[in-house]
Amino acid sequence: MAQIELVHLSKVYGNDVAAVRDLNLDVAEGEFMVLVGPSGCGKTTALRMVAGLEEISSGEIRIGGKVVNELAPRDRDIAMVFQNYALYPHKSVYENLAFGLRMRKVPKAEQKERVEEIARILGLGEMLHRRPAQLSGGQRQRVAMGRAIVREPKAFLMDEPLSNLDAKLRVQMRAEIARIQQALKVTTVYVTHDQVEAMTMGHRVAVMRDGELQQVDTPQRLYDAPANLFVASFVGSPPMNLFEAVVERDDSRLVCRIGETELELPADVAAERPALANYSGRPVAVGIRPEDVREAAGWDGARLRGRILLVESLGSEQLVHIEIAATPLERSDLIDAAAQPPGPPLGVDDLERAVTLLGRFDRHLLLAPGEAVEVAIDPRLLHFFDLETGVAIPAVDVPVAAEVVS
Amino acid sequence: MSSVTQIAPTPVAPVAPRGRGRRRRTRQLGWNLLGLLVLAVMVFPVYWMVATAFKPGQQILSYTPHWVPTNPTLSNFRDAIHQPFFWNAVKNSLIVVSAVVALSVVLAFLASLALAKFHFYGRKAFIVLILGVQMVPLAALIIPLYILMSRLGQIDKLTGVIAMYLTFVLPFTVWTMRGFLLGIPKELEEAAMVDGATRFGAFVRVLLPLVGPGLVATSIFAFIQAWNEFIIAYVFLHTPAKQTLMVWLASFTTLRGTDWGPLMAGATLCALPVVVFFLLVQRRIAFGLTAGAVRG
Repeated sequence: MAQIELVHLSKVYGNDVAAVRDLNLDVAEGEFMVLVGPSGCGKTTALRMVAGLEEISSGEIRIGGKVVNELAPRDRDIAMVFQNYALYPHKSVYENLAFGLRMRKVPKAEQKERVEEIARILGLGEMLHRRPAQLSGGQRQRVAMGRAIVREPKAFLMDEPLSNLDAKLRVQMRAEIARIQQALKVTTVYVTHDQVEAMTMGHRVAVMRDGELQQVDTPQRLYDAPANLFVASFVGSPPMNLFEAVVERDDSRLVCRIGETELELPADVAAERPALANYSGRPVAVGIRPEDVREAAGWDGARLRGRILLVESLGSEQLVHIEIAATPLERSDLIDAAAQPPGPPLGVDDLERAVTLLGRFDRHLLLAPGEAVEVAIDPRLLHFFDLETGVAIPAVDVPVAAEVVS
Repeated sequence: MSSVTQIAPTPVAPVAPRGRGRRRRTRQLGWNLLGLLVLAVMVFPVYWMVATAFKPGQQILSYTPHWVPTNPTLSNFRDAIHQPFFWNAVKNSLIVVSAVVALSVVLAFLASLALAKFHFYGRKAFIVLILGVQMVPLAALIIPLYILMSRLGQIDKLTGVIAMYLTFVLPFTVWTMRGFLLGIPKELEEAAMVDGATRFGAFVRVLLPLVGPGLVATSIFAFIQAWNEFIIAYVFLHTPAKQTLMVWLASFTTLRGTDWGPLMAGATLCALPVVVFFLLVQRRIAFGLTAGAVRG
């Protein structure tokens, strides 16, 4: 067990393509760190550099305080789980599990003992003599995990180990991996593009984009206080609603104008975000989580009027797409492409600039597409971002971990 | 599909299946006949060789062909084996073949590793070169090779012949092995390296067993090439005691004519090892040819 430190780590490919740029990340001893980001964001490259499978262009990697830049993968005492499992097809499950021990010249008897122990824990006891080709996807995944665990390495590196499993098995293995990691307390770096996996498994999550670290924090804080528009749009499913609004000063009060509607910002919101006052008269990006969008019955604050485009029932709740009059974000380069609200608005013609607002509503509400609806928005639940840079306009007690580069 | 059925005139429709079925059967029959014809053309020389080997002398030279050796004899085989230098030739052929097979498998594995796994400068050019040299006709190379080999003092020596065989076996084997290696996901060797193997250890422990079928396929090729090669051996090996089996076979053709019976018996004997070797490994080669298609 050891901590892993990445210091000013960069990877540049021959023709000046930077896969990872100046990455600084400390993974504490026993911590489960998830690297997450869309494909091509450099997370896998970073992981492979830690494993020693990719050369480091500049910067330093330390494992357990020791610089490992020049060490071969075998000398770093790490174990890796690959996306396609990379089981040795010509070896039995037993030989697959024992391979690392054999390479490290562990005595035969101990090899047998440890392999059988791991096989028992992972429920592979019956399959030790099978070949990988004779196993199901889930079983192969377990063997790949077992091969990493049995070595008792300083750290686990996992490269999207669940992405080849079907959805149901993935949820099951997700919990299992998290449980195993908690039991063994081995430092783990886990790469995924799935933000749900990242949120559910990681002690801390590092969000990456275009080779740059956007924010590192606990899942809850990533969700509650995204450092920039990209993180806000990437974390959370369905994603945060983002649109443009104008902050205006009305006497001593701050007002946030969304379309035609004026939302008065209570004094405490303004006090929490002192920087917000500087934006008065200028447009900002505003975000609100779908679960914070409420139907306005009984709400005495400002209401947004809209029209229902689509109702998706999820059983426990319903996802409602509501078209409201507001300015869509023009800097779509600052947000996760996959998180953009679907398609152009279809319904209301008289709204010149419309935004589709996604709301998670109680399942008992009777709503039908085409209906007019009023939604309540609590100004305390709004997230504010600078429209130029995408950086969050922070509340005072929320330190921002990393800056976005525009 | 649906539009086609709409366009087709309705009265034809019920008749069509039967007519189509018969047409398909006729076509299949045609192909089968063609296949049989090709088989006959391919097999007949082999049959004639074996049949002649068992015929007594007067049947071989008679003007009316004897299709089947009535009263077969083994005397031709006896004559062939007692021909001078037969056992020398067997020994030489075995030396040449085993050296070529062993060396080509080892060298091809290492060379194809380099081509498949390392991105060194000039790799592409090298690959093109490997393809290119296979297109040069052997006959054009005999004289330059002879000059080269005589300067190296390798005329009339088995080592020289082995080296030359390698030069034209290797391009093919390297090319084939490279294909096999490219079919193996790179994560496998990476996993081995993380698990504690050196780079070379990963090659030997993980890649080598996985390209087994490829090694078998290429060793068959090398075996057949080295065993059957005639021109180079004929040109470079002068001393009868140093000649390989194929050159020894040619010694049946003399200025006074050809001794057909023993020649055919000798040829039959020479063909046997290749056939036996192929039968032994053909299951593996069939597996090898499809192995790359299935993901591990």
